[in-house]
Amino acid sequence: MPKCKKSEGQAIDYAYKLLPSAEELPFKEHLKSCKDCTEAVESYTAALELTDEAQEELVVPEHALRDIEMNVYKRLAASQEQTTWLSRLSAYFTSVGSPFGWYKTAAVSSVAIALIVAAVLISKPPQPEQTLQVTEMQSAEARIEAYREQGIQWNLEEALITHHLRNDAWETESQLNRMKEQAQGTSWTKVADKQLQNLQSGILNRTQQNRIGEN
Amino acid sequence: MDKLIDDEMLVAQFQAGRQNAFDELMKRYKSKIFSYLLRSVRNYEDAEDITIEVFFKAYRALENWQPKAKFSTWLYKIASNLAIDYHRAKARNPVYALDDAEIPEKHLVATDMHSDPVKQLEEKERGLIIREAVDQLSPKQKAVFMLSRYEGLQLKEVAETLDMAEGTVKIHLHRAVKRLQTLLRPLWENNDI
Ligand SMILES: [Zn+2]
Repeated sequence: MPKCKKSEGQAIDYAYKLLPSAEELPFKEHLKSCKDCTEAVESYTAALELTDEAQEELVVPEHALRDIEMNVYKRLAASQEQTTWLSRLSAYFTSVGSPFGWYKTAAVSSVAIALIVAAVLISKPPQPEQTLQVTEMQSAEARIEAYREQGIQWNLEEALITHHLRNDAWETESQLNRMKEQAQGTSWTKVADKQLQNLQSGILNRTQQNRIGEN
Repeated sequence: MDKLIDDEMLVAQFQAGRQNAFDELMKRYKSKIFSYLLRSVRNYEDAEDITIEVFFKAYRALENWQPKAKFSTWLYKIASNLAIDYHRAKARNPVYALDDAEIPEKHLVATDMHSDPVKQLEEKERGLIIREAVDQLSPKQKAVFMLSRYEGLQLKEVAETLDMAEGTVKIHLHRAVKRLQTLLRPLWENNDI
């Protein structure tokens, strides 16, 4: 016996809560007397509930999101560097256009490209039209720096939380060292050093106190 | 976060030269886009790379963006296209295939220190089977299903996001649900729930 026609489209829409309100009541009525549709709705609902449950387990942890902005700006800076280089190359083609006219059409020649690359690297002809791109690049770089600094501060905060709330000196030390590495070339390394020093003297004090307690 | 300033206003500010506006947009959407992509590609690093690519492309295109649809729809559109490309590349290159075994366990299963480890393992396996079933959907079925079910997009918005007619969206969605029902049926028929 063929299945009820409503047991596909309408049953799926009902299980998915997509049925327009005008169709919902009549379908509910239909369910009371149709075994096919009742079974179909039950199994679609079960499949959807299982899927929802499994999807809920996929959570992006906060720390994975931290570097997104910085990496976007890094990606932008890298591509801008590339385009600046390419436009410098093409501008050079134009500037040396007349004496080497035919080279332009034979640009695929690897010899020509090698020569031009060498020439570009040595002569660096002035390119006023690149100003905008360079500013954009500088702004990307400034943002990378800002996000790096933010990252350093986050790691410092995390290390302090580990230290004060979880009282885990070993983990604090490795977090501080990671932060110090990340902060290479900035004054934040001094902050890291200071914290590491405090941590060391704290551990030392506790060991001494323990010894006194033992004695 | 000042949600009072809507996304489209931030876009206008960015277009007028205010860089910070783009940072605000990233802050608003990075988590949504990342988790959408994580559900879709089920690989942590790839989801992160594609998220970065989404914002990179958005930054590049935003200057000329016209508010025909919501900004978020447009962003999901970029993400969906990249995810579909990813799945196509993966299908062409089976060696490249990865599954969520690559995702650190703690991200997959809500860890309850007091629960039974055997039960935890079973739960984890079941989660894996289910996510694999979702993976068997075609890229378009998957995109339609994910966007409508987990990203809270209306069918009309899904249609805009994926450049499809609303009717086509519905067809993909019906097929997706039917396929999931067929693939997952053994899980409840064996009383495994
Ligand atoms: Zn029926």
